[in-house]
Amino acid sequence: MKRIGVDVGGTFTDLVLWDDDGTVTVHKTPSTNHDPSIGTMAGIEVLAERAGIDPSEIEMFFHGTTVATNIVLEHNGSDVGMITTDGFRDLLHIARKKRPLNYSNYQDLPWQKWQLVPRRNRRTVPERIDASGAVLTPLDEDAVRREVRMLRERGVEAIAVAFLHAYRNPTHEQRVKQIIAEEFPGVFVSLSSEVAPQYREYERFSTTALNAFIGPKTSRYIENLAGKAKEAQVGEDVHLMTSAGGLVTSRSASEIPVSLLTSGVVAGLLGGCAIGEASGYPSVITLDVGGTSADIGVAPDGKLRMKHLLDTRIGDYHAMVPMAEVDTIGAGGGSIAMVDDGGMFRVGPRSAGAVPGPACYNRGGTEPTSTDAMVVMGWLREDSFLSGSMEVIPALAEDAIRTHVAEKLGTSLEQAAMGIFTILAHSMTEAISLHSVRKGYDPRDFSLVAEGGAGPLFAWQIAEQLGIPRVIVPGHPGITSAVGLLTTDIRYEVPTTVWTSSDEPDVDLIGAEMKRLADEATAQLLADGVDATGITLERSVDCRYLGQGYELRVPAPDGDIDAEWVKQTAEAFHEIHGRTYSQRFDDKPVQLINIRVTGVGAMSHVRIREIEKGGADASHAIKTTTKALFWEPGSTEPAWHDTPVYRREELLAGNTFAGPAIVEQFDSTTIVGVGQRATVDPVGHIIIDRLTDRSAEEASA
Amino acid sequence: MSKTPMPRSGVSLAGEATRTWNDVDVDPITLRVIGGALDSMAKEMAQVLYRMAYSSLIRESEDLGAGIFDVNGRELCESDSTPMHCGSIPAYIRGIDRRLKGTYKPGDVILHNHPYHGAAHSPDYGIVIPIFWEGEHVGFAGCTGHVSDIGGNFPGLCMDVVDVWAEGKLMDSMKIYDGGVRNDMLIQHILDNVRTPEQNRGDLEALVACARIGEKRFLELLKRYGIDTVMSASERWMDYSEQMLRARIREIPDGSYEAPIGYLDDDGKNRGVPLKVAVRVEVSGEDVLVDLTGSNDQVQTAFNVPFEGSVLPVAVSAIRTILLDEAVTEEYVPQNDGCFRPVKAYAPEGTIFNPDFPASCFARFSQVNRVFDSINLALAPVLPDHAVAGSSAALCAIAYSGLADDGESYWVYIEINEGSYGGRNGKDGMDAVDALMANTRNNPIEELELNHAMQALRYELRDESPAPGRWRGGIGSVRTWLMQTDTFLGSEADNRTDAPAGALSGSNGVSGSFVRNVGTDREEVLFSKVTQEVIRAGDTLEIKMPSGGGFGDPFERDAFAVLSDVWDEYLTAEDAERDYGVVVDTSTWTVDDEATARLRAARVSA
Repeated sequence: MKRIGVDVGGTFTDLVLWDDDGTVTVHKTPSTNHDPSIGTMAGIEVLAERAGIDPSEIEMFFHGTTVATNIVLEHNGSDVGMITTDGFRDLLHIARKKRPLNYSNYQDLPWQKWQLVPRRNRRTVPERIDASGAVLTPLDEDAVRREVRMLRERGVEAIAVAFLHAYRNPTHEQRVKQIIAEEFPGVFVSLSSEVAPQYREYERFSTTALNAFIGPKTSRYIENLAGKAKEAQVGEDVHLMTSAGGLVTSRSASEIPVSLLTSGVVAGLLGGCAIGEASGYPSVITLDVGGTSADIGVAPDGKLRMKHLLDTRIGDYHAMVPMAEVDTIGAGGGSIAMVDDGGMFRVGPRSAGAVPGPACYNRGGTEPTSTDAMVVMGWLREDSFLSGSMEVIPALAEDAIRTHVAEKLGTSLEQAAMGIFTILAHSMTEAISLHSVRKGYDPRDFSLVAEGGAGPLFAWQIAEQLGIPRVIVPGHPGITSAVGLLTTDIRYEVPTTVWTSSDEPDVDLIGAEMKRLADEATAQLLADGVDATGITLERSVDCRYLGQGYELRVPAPDGDIDAEWVKQTAEAFHEIHGRTYSQRFDDKPVQLINIRVTGVGAMSHVRIREIEKGGADASHAIKTTTKALFWEPGSTEPAWHDTPVYRREELLAGNTFAGPAIVEQFDSTTIVGVGQRATVDPVGHIIIDRLTDRSAEEASA
Repeated sequence: MSKTPMPRSGVSLAGEATRTWNDVDVDPITLRVIGGALDSMAKEMAQVLYRMAYSSLIRESEDLGAGIFDVNGRELCESDSTPMHCGSIPAYIRGIDRRLKGTYKPGDVILHNHPYHGAAHSPDYGIVIPIFWEGEHVGFAGCTGHVSDIGGNFPGLCMDVVDVWAEGKLMDSMKIYDGGVRNDMLIQHILDNVRTPEQNRGDLEALVACARIGEKRFLELLKRYGIDTVMSASERWMDYSEQMLRARIREIPDGSYEAPIGYLDDDGKNRGVPLKVAVRVEVSGEDVLVDLTGSNDQVQTAFNVPFEGSVLPVAVSAIRTILLDEAVTEEYVPQNDGCFRPVKAYAPEGTIFNPDFPASCFARFSQVNRVFDSINLALAPVLPDHAVAGSSAALCAIAYSGLADDGESYWVYIEINEGSYGGRNGKDGMDAVDALMANTRNNPIEELELNHAMQALRYELRDESPAPGRWRGGIGSVRTWLMQTDTFLGSEADNRTDAPAGALSGSNGVSGSFVRNVGTDREEVLFSKVTQEVIRAGDTLEIKMPSGGGFGDPFERDAFAVLSDVWDEYLTAEDAERDYGVVVDTSTWTVDDEATARLRAARVSA
């Protein structure tokens, strides 16, 4: 079977074609941001041509996209109207009423400055449901009709419907949906009970409004792409990656586009998991470094962890949808270094981006970036930028660092360059430790997968700092996200709120709701054409101690819902609470707040093929020797070393070489530090570890 | 408990530097790395606390603080939670030191809440752990959080109480763990004497876990870099923050700047007697003194302010916010002891801002938030780019409570209602948000309705039009609760009589109110401060929060911005015409440009 993964990012569209015989073809092309489907379809043509096949031979088409994300970040979504409960018109405007910044009178409140729905379009109708789901005030259907007509006259493109306690009783919202279908057919509709059926009104309303805000544009994009793919006979349907790391059909993605918000970065994490698995190290930390940002993910045993609901944000908004734990920080090749007015040395989060870019690009950038530092250190050579097809001027990098950093700090050029790199690497280290050590995971149990064009430049140092025993550099670091698209299953997660407690559990309610959710998830998968035998169901419960305010997500056992099931679930919660907060309270009752069923439709996964074997000696792959700046582990004194530069394409399985070393390939450069060793494994990944094991004590420091 | 009079030159939160390590030269990279590590450990402490905690004030409102301190209580780093808390922890440490200095052992955990010895106020439990490195006491990990009840005269909040003993149970430097041994009997005694023992128990555990994670992370840092490097780097960071703040102070012309005298509604007992707030900001060179001389004498109720734990943090936060506003300052300036050094505060003994023991000082937020607001207003003429018109400079905290169904335990729910900001130079005021020293989250209505016998009838922006200005004032919220059971009500609020002030020709804002059974024949306006008021099942309570003052002349406001406010139903067409000189054609809902130009010109020539 032939399948493609297409990851559309802000700058580049990455494509990978995978044949079940193990043949892999990759292609990278600039994104066409005005209509990304153009670049995608053109890219598929080139990719197919390279692979020597006709596009119609492609059987499956998997897609990750930042279309929805960009609408949110650029605040250019559709005009949205909202129908909500009388008396609660401004919940979106008040939000959680906490300022983002403590010490600021002049800040903007993002939810007020960039409103998802302006007040004039937030319309209220008489209706009210209580916490038990009972109707206190029946829905005033005439009022609904009146307001929908008004929104139609105003020309809104989407309507969000959000009533209090609709997670408990969705009938009023569903009735509004019917009335909208009668009065305003074709408008995009987003119901809170469908988009995020969980308690916490602000987060649910905001998620629903966000879904409406991005809905029309995103669904148009998806339908457009699916249409073009169908025309070209590429795959049966376009499947899209969700923030939770599962695939959904184009239809489902069009209805709930808010589930796609971190699609691309999650694909990067999944790709890293597949790479770790292929090298025999399933527990991975992934580091994907691009021009402006770095994405960091942690997957113990290759399993994604879901974010705490307080952390599921996108840009300035809260989105109460499942998101795999991936963190993005402002550190990349374009991060700018400076010495501020107070004399502090800072790198990032400000970035020179692609324009004006690093000083050495000679496109008008004069401030030094981390790329400039690597040019000065000799790690990035003139002919290493896209194999020499892009011009860089090292003297400009030197000037920028000397003027803006070295002279201000009174250090040598070398120390300044090393400092820029070290500070940036350290901010990545902090972010990784936030997601590993501080959540109860020991980085010594993980491997670091270096992704993106710049990941392999940083990974060696980060592994050193955190005591991560090895770095894995995949064959094509730049397209790991596209690979990730090919390594997962179709997944639908259906949640509901149950509010019960382990001391007096309502097992009938949990049982009935669990069955309902399982049926819904199964129906969705069957509708997507998944074979019934290929469906598995995963349960999880959001738990907290009675009286706490925030839940932790706990995997729940299969089987009948009874007292024993509740006990096992509570035990799993104690375990996770202990890991997360270093304390557990076994005698306290556990509240079961939300239950979730994830329906999984298994897809056959790609396997990474072995490469040609060679001996230990890697010298045949050396293309030149260059002067490059390196330092002993723990030292702050850099020195120039004669450093071999290897050609990635010529490395064979079993080749091994010591650092310092540089490995170059078309779109990426890998650094091996002093005291480190690189070995090419059977699937062609470069494994970087230490020449000598350091003591456990040293590693934990 | 006599004390030495405070010098007229004021006192500061900054701690004394006594060095027990070797000062070393830290390279710029390591310096940066240690700064980042300190910042993230404080943030992690706060996360552990609010995600684990039980009291809704801690977990939802993030009414908490956390940080790492040196042996003299100098703040090395703080969490970015509620500024009121973080700045107060150094004062807690000084209070504890006065009793326990020299007796600290590894494994000690100390609980403290004494408002005359550093606590911000008594319901803010402080947990402090002394940190030992190679057998030597090198610092403290500390945190504070507002618990639901501390066993005072009244559940949750109190106003009309006789003294500090009536406001709650005082814990003065109590070791709840002594050398690692937990004193279960003491803890039981503490919990037996509050109305919400289970909540407080969970909160205590969360506070201890928070301080321990701070201790652990700081020790990891010491292990990695050594104490000389870590402490030397910390010194540099404190000096850095100090220099950054001093540089900005130097830009203000020397002088004495007085805010308009402000008035608080009353003391919660003697109705109709307003309390005076006099704020003078004296700038000399690179130092600032916030002088509260002239403010009201202390009162007989709980409406007094602990000086060290509350006045000082407010003076520091206000100056820092105005001069190094995080939204417009490009440099990252960490909040630490360095920010405290240039700022002093003075309040004469026997006034509401520096009461004599044993006056109660439980309810202090409205007064100090007014001080913050007045510092803004005082500096507005010399710092017009940083100025803000008057904001809702109070704190509207309401405690709802009652006996639970079992007839034995209490339920207590404390809600902090948000206010709004005054207009700003170039921007409208922020609507419906916690203002100035407060920065808490609201509770989900859907959670409250599940847990308590209360039903929300309304939660939205209030109907009254915002304060006119070229940049209009922010809009306060209105919230209406229907009580489903007989409920006790306690409140500390203000801003009823003296609305937020307009600035530079902007109009004054709109006052707040509490109304029982609004819109019925039983409608009744309540005072801003009530003690153990009973709200019967079936009664409603409407809470309106103040709207901030306007900034600049409303006739200079962009006509489209006015129209937009009409579209959004913040203003009527009549409001637009009267207050802004903008004529809206109500047949098309557009601006009548010609009529507007005429009207605006007429006023200018008038």
